[in-house]
Amino acid sequence: MSVLRGAAGWVAVALCVVPLAVAVLGPFLPYDARAGLPYSSEGLLGTDGLGRDVLGLLLVGGRTALGMAFGAVVMAYLVGGLVGLTAASTRHRWLDEAMMRPLDVLLPLPSLLVISVVAVGWQASAPAITVAVAMVNVPTVARLVRAAALDAASGPVVEALRMQRESWFTIQLGYVGRSVLGPVAADLGTRITLAVFLVASVNFLGLGLSPTAPDWAVSVSRNREGLLLQPWSVLAPALLLVSFTLGFNLLADRLVHRSRRLAGSPA
Amino acid sequence: MRSYAVQRAGLAVVQLAVLSVLVFVLTSLLPGDAAEMRFTETLTPSQVAALRAELGLDQPPAERFVHWLGNVLTGDLGTSLISGGPVADIVRDSIGATLVLTLTTLAVVVPLAVALGIAMGTRENGRLDRAITSVTLALSAIPDFVIAVVLVAVFALKLGWLPATWVGGDLLASPALLILPVGVLLGRTVCLLSRQVRAGTIAALNAEYVTQARRLGVPRRQLLLRHVLPNAAVPGVQELARTGDTLLGGVLVVEAIFAIPGFATALVDGVETRDVPTVQGLTLVLAVAALLINLGADLVCNRLVPRTEALR
Amino acid sequence: MWRVSEALGRRGFLGMAGGAGLAAIAGCGADGGAAAQPKQGGRLRAVYAGGGAKEVLDPHVQSLFVDIARHKAIYEKLVELGPDLRPVGRLASTWEHDATATTWRFTLRDATFHDGAKLVADDVLYSLSRIVDPAVPERVAQSSLATLDLKRSKAIGASKVELVLTQPNAEFPALLAGIGTHIVRDGFKDPAKPVGTGAFRHVSFEAGRSLVASRYDGYWDEPARIEELHILSADSEARATAVQGGQAEYANDMTATFARTAEAGKTVRIVASKASTMQAFVMKVDRPPFDNPDVRLAFKLVADRQRLVDVVLAGRGEVGNDLFGKGYQYYPADLPQLERDVDRAKSLLAKAGLAGKEIEIFTADASAGFVEAATLFAEQVAEAGVRLKVTTGSPQTYAKDLLTKGAIGNHRSGAMPIPQYVTDRLLSHSPFNVTHWRRPVFDAAFAAARAVTSEAERSAKYGVLQKTVRDEGGILAWGLPDYLIAVSAKVQGVQAVPPNTLDQGRFDKVWLA
Repeated sequence: MSVLRGAAGWVAVALCVVPLAVAVLGPFLPYDARAGLPYSSEGLLGTDGLGRDVLGLLLVGGRTALGMAFGAVVMAYLVGGLVGLTAASTRHRWLDEAMMRPLDVLLPLPSLLVISVVAVGWQASAPAITVAVAMVNVPTVARLVRAAALDAASGPVVEALRMQRESWFTIQLGYVGRSVLGPVAADLGTRITLAVFLVASVNFLGLGLSPTAPDWAVSVSRNREGLLLQPWSVLAPALLLVSFTLGFNLLADRLVHRSRRLAGSPA
Repeated sequence: MRSYAVQRAGLAVVQLAVLSVLVFVLTSLLPGDAAEMRFTETLTPSQVAALRAELGLDQPPAERFVHWLGNVLTGDLGTSLISGGPVADIVRDSIGATLVLTLTTLAVVVPLAVALGIAMGTRENGRLDRAITSVTLALSAIPDFVIAVVLVAVFALKLGWLPATWVGGDLLASPALLILPVGVLLGRTVCLLSRQVRAGTIAALNAEYVTQARRLGVPRRQLLLRHVLPNAAVPGVQELARTGDTLLGGVLVVEAIFAIPGFATALVDGVETRDVPTVQGLTLVLAVAALLINLGADLVCNRLVPRTEALR
Repeated sequence: MWRVSEALGRRGFLGMAGGAGLAAIAGCGADGGAAAQPKQGGRLRAVYAGGGAKEVLDPHVQSLFVDIARHKAIYEKLVELGPDLRPVGRLASTWEHDATATTWRFTLRDATFHDGAKLVADDVLYSLSRIVDPAVPERVAQSSLATLDLKRSKAIGASKVELVLTQPNAEFPALLAGIGTHIVRDGFKDPAKPVGTGAFRHVSFEAGRSLVASRYDGYWDEPARIEELHILSADSEARATAVQGGQAEYANDMTATFARTAEAGKTVRIVASKASTMQAFVMKVDRPPFDNPDVRLAFKLVADRQRLVDVVLAGRGEVGNDLFGKGYQYYPADLPQLERDVDRAKSLLAKAGLAGKEIEIFTADASAGFVEAATLFAEQVAEAGVRLKVTTGSPQTYAKDLLTKGAIGNHRSGAMPIPQYVTDRLLSHSPFNVTHWRRPVFDAAFAAARAVTSEAERSAKYGVLQKTVRDEGGILAWGLPDYLIAVSAKVQGVQAVPPNTLDQGRFDKVWLA
């Protein structure tokens, strides 16, 4: 892919892929994590506050750190996408308004606060936080999809399809849906990064997952007090998190650049 | 213009009302209530029950909400179920610190982002452009709590140059307290803002009237300031409103790490202790502020570029 | 880097001191190598765990450590507790009681309030009536002073007060040393304007942030050495950073990990009060599976207490012996330490039909180490063939939830006299009876013991009751954590005593070198 031209592209991919691989494949690696004393230097990267092997925790901590974020984004696109498409495609203005206005209500509230409030209420519940992160993103996704769909839906192609008596589904999910994919893909990078940030911040603040969860962000938070005793207990999960967000951001940026340049609009 | 502002204001009032109901319902749904939270193992269960009655928590929720609404409309934000003092006091005490933080960050980030954005935009795809882009992109890609932990570990604990927390600190006596927290908030916001200014600059530079002005021999500085900047500023101003969202979210993490007794912390504490009036009061103030910021941003954009497209 | 041998070394030391637990706890020369002469003046900033809006200035409503510290500086009680939790007179210089221990006479000291008024008996009577006022249920000492009969209590002259109880209680003075029992001025109405007899007078207060107090030169005891006292609030991380970064000189309730970090550096000193709190698992004895005494015993046998102490407390503490109050007045002497016996536990559990079954342990991040201890204990229980599933609840409601939910959960207790602990938790009508230990015979024996006026006899009776609790009860006290305070190098005069005792957090005895 031309986006990978140059060392920078490959670096971005590596930064992104390594944590992903650890998160996805880690739990299946047959690694024997030996328990030791708190913040000791036993094992490759030492132990954490509970004497658990840091490397062992790294291998299982990505599931929540990245998994919750990805799950939330998928959910946000499914729900937001559906709402946006429906709102854009309907002939009745009142339906459009009825679907979009309520979403505006939550817009003034900053996302992290809303999710923190949910997290406090439904303690240590990964699904609850995932749903909350998804819901916080739905308004933006819905607007985005609606705007793109409106562009497509008002064009001559859709008129033609409609005159040919194609079903609502074929028009919406077929043509309009596909033309929405472009802006959605451009937005994907920001959305996933944001989701990872939100989930990590909530877990870091101790408002989300259980304090002994192996999650990367929870580890960074809980092991701060032992930073001088065993730095790897904080640095290793932090590096994995940063590596992913950095790599992903760089990649997404280059992709958007690439597509914009091809489309001819100023970057 | 005026009818537009009135229309927006009316919409805002409706939004606030719906938000208030939503927040009340959500906090009331949480398990446990303020009477239990107030004292965990120092009061017997019968004392807790008596306390609950005293706080009025045994009244039906609808009645409590209407009571609160009535008070708000007369300017009374109610009393905290936890401290027994007025919610207005909690709002006033916590808002100071957060305001100072956010305003200082804005005061630094706006000039910085504008300068960077214009510098990048006028040298599109040049070495400087790409260098600044990479740095700001990298900064914004690192979670703020990681930046905060690293900054504190290096500048406060290891080197001892800057104070690590706001514990017992007085801003007037030691403004250096602001440096690290603002630094963290800066990292997250400067990238997007400068990118938007850059995009606006490039669009403006390529616009017809600018090329025309250049042909007429208008000096470069005047070109930039009078023709390019107002148009470049539009996406910047809209982004600024969105920056508000990032800042208020980032503020929670910063307040937690630096022990700053601010707004976001007060809100989350209120939820943890089920202090419903405090949560509602703080959310109301927050929502009003957010709506005002958005309205302000839209009006400014309208002024800068009086075309209806700018408002969408 | 820390190695296992260092932990053993510590264990060895504590083992030797264990028999003389009293000496380890008592504040004799806590600050080794202290400067010779106390110096006057200076400002001390102490930082405690915060409670946000829950922090109060009204001493009768106190509930947090930070409240207790603040009110201790400004107000005083009739009685306080010594390092072994024995009552020590403060505003009451002496006391006597009648043969039945129902009528008590307290002689008051010659003390003055911050506004110049002398302490008189009417102040005491007013304070007590304010505490027990049923219209204000949030006054915390209400239930412990429930047996006080104020109608029959009276002043005898200006400096003696006679208090009458509805039931005999030889431990009454200790009740007057509990939380929320401070003496305020007769007619005290506005908590925002504190007037007490303590060593410091109130200057300003901001809930969730700080209390500022200045030295009171008319203090009846030796006046404080420092000029100004700030008591601030912050969470665990911020406290650690503040005291290391020089923003505070005294930080309360630090973690063992912080102690390790501090000892590696040189700017901060740790003052450790050994084995002065208790960490336990509590089993409900009235529901399966813990209604079976064999199962309770099996769990007590399978716990690897030393490992729990090494990991959860980072070695900072002693192993527990399933009983509260080691080193305190009335703790039975010569109690053999229960040793780990996995095989016996396994067979007991198999006999009870629990082999291979799953039990839930209900925990929450309500206190440092709870979730960690539960997780670690689950591993240990697995060795005996039973699966212990860890479920977490909300930290804010955990203490209340544990009263009704969960067959087994976590419990942490601060320092208090043993009879107080029993009254709060081990009687049928106890408000905080997390083990649901309800035995009318036990209640009667305890009430009888409490009425005995001879201390030796009382002690013996208490001993019998405690042994019963230890053998048959639902408290699996696995560890006795040290109570850790961090002070900057220039702070002197800090005592290593259990929390809630007289010399803990006594800022009138502290000075800056």
